[in-house]
Amino acid sequence: MSMGGVLVTGATTPIGERLCRSLLADQEVDHVLAVGPHPPERAMPFAHGERLVYRQMDLSRSRAVHELLFGIARDLGVRVVMHLSMHRSVDAHGSKVHALNVDALRSLLSLSERHPTIERLIFKSYAEVYQVQHNLPALITEDHPLNMAGGAPQWIRDRVEADLTACTRMGLSNLEIMVLRCAEVLAPGTGSQLFDYLSSSVCLRPAGYDPVLNLLSISDVVRALELACKASGVQGVINIPGKDSLPLSECIFRWGRASVPLPEAILSPLYRMRRRLRGAQFSYGMNRRRFHYAAVPDGTRAADLLGYAPEIGIDWPTDKQEDLE
Amino acid sequence: MPFSSRIARRYAQAILRPEEMEWIAGIPYNDAGHGFDPFGMHPDFIATGLATFKALHSKYFRVKSYGTENVPKTGSGILAGNHSGTLPVDGMMLWLDVVINARRVPRPVADHFVPALPYVGVLFSRGGMVGGSRGNVRALLKAGELLMIFPEGTPGIGKPYSEKYKLQDWRVGHAELAIRHQAPVIPVAFIGGEEQMPQIARFDGLGKLLGLPYLPIPASPIPLPVRYHIHYGKPIDLSADYRPEQADDPEIVREAAQRVKDAVQGLIHRGLELREGIFR
Repeated sequence: MSMGGVLVTGATTPIGERLCRSLLADQEVDHVLAVGPHPPERAMPFAHGERLVYRQMDLSRSRAVHELLFGIARDLGVRVVMHLSMHRSVDAHGSKVHALNVDALRSLLSLSERHPTIERLIFKSYAEVYQVQHNLPALITEDHPLNMAGGAPQWIRDRVEADLTACTRMGLSNLEIMVLRCAEVLAPGTGSQLFDYLSSSVCLRPAGYDPVLNLLSISDVVRALELACKASGVQGVINIPGKDSLPLSECIFRWGRASVPLPEAILSPLYRMRRRLRGAQFSYGMNRRRFHYAAVPDGTRAADLLGYAPEIGIDWPTDKQEDLE
Repeated sequence: MPFSSRIARRYAQAILRPEEMEWIAGIPYNDAGHGFDPFGMHPDFIATGLATFKALHSKYFRVKSYGTENVPKTGSGILAGNHSGTLPVDGMMLWLDVVINARRVPRPVADHFVPALPYVGVLFSRGGMVGGSRGNVRALLKAGELLMIFPEGTPGIGKPYSEKYKLQDWRVGHAELAIRHQAPVIPVAFIGGEEQMPQIARFDGLGKLLGLPYLPIPASPIPLPVRYHIHYGKPIDLSADYRPEQADDPEIVREAAQRVKDAVQGLIHRGLELREGIFR
């Protein structure tokens, strides 16, 4: 059965690109309309036929979004919008960043609601929107409190606002809206804070704490997005956990790094200095709570509604070394 | 195998018998990847805990248990007992006793401040402890785990010696969850805990500065080698009298919690009558 066309925003990110490849391999998908900020000659570096259409576009401009949806998207018969576009850098801040992170989604939602062909909108959200605290459950279900802290950086605030923007529109029109709160994808180019943290040969962590983290591979997040794309009639918020749940110390060990526990008071200034000197992305302040208390997304709803269960784990560098030996 | 669990396993292998190691290796649990469950429990650390504290159970406190057959071998359940002793040694003894004599790994449900304690929170979570939030307990009961709950909470261990063996304010959350998930409640009484470390004073303000509910001043710097007696009562099958949806009825929940409290108080009275002396 034909699924019509699928619009993918953030198509030039590692996840977006893999998703486009997977959708193109699926013969039920008539067209993939990929959108990204890069010029066409730099985007989609793989062979593709007429089923893939790429558009360079700034989604923070609502007029551009309007023209995209009521132009080529309508012509291609796009039925599903998969919104992956979000600033990945923790240093990105200001109204322009907010416009892409939040306002672009708001425009997509309101335009999709009155669009002649679009039936569903899937927003890839983040497990980082959840509040992590010692007196909250370690196994996080979809009704877990969100991180609404006023002092949170824009990276978090925008993600929470975008997530809630999508949630508040659910059930108000015929548009089916699904919010996938994905565990952290440990891979380069995904905006993973942990990936940047693990790029140091020595990883400092708070002494006396070793919380369990849950990590998602690109293969699994792409599979979850594809399942969501096909799950007609399903809407709501769904956690997407990864296959790897392990303590922070084990994560550092498996990445082949040295783990050094240090008193809490000096970690924040040390990592602030690292950010300034090396232009690193990891912010200890932003990750302080998850470096103290366990937070593992519960995948029960994903299993029930999407038939999703994590299958492919992280490609740990130490596993590769063991294989070579 | 993860590095820390490799060390933990080697240490346990040096102390525990091979059959104990074999049993621990075969414990059914929800492996969320890399041998840890979502709450951080790992069988190798259970072996380490058993190896480290077994002597406290058998030699120091010389624990005698009665009615171990009442602990369900499989499926969800809640062990609900009295709490005493300034330090929560009774919790550790119950955990060891169920592991050694009932061959199950119970999941202690701790007060919210425990997971926030450095080192302690990590070590306890490796042995199966979870923070006392509703979500954690719900997830464990759905997974068919056996929980250890002290409905008196911290006020139970912090009460003055003059109130020994008198149950404090009995919280009702365990009864609500037992009804909702149709899990049996096994009443448990500890005899001996009240005398292990009598509390002569407590400083609430200083404790709060340290992230603790209070700072106790015990009469003895270390727990005294009293003999612990653990009495397991007959399981209370709340599912026979209450439907899951009745878990939302406060009156029903209070009534069910009172049944558990009465059962624990009854076991305490019987245990005190049977006891021949504090150290015997």
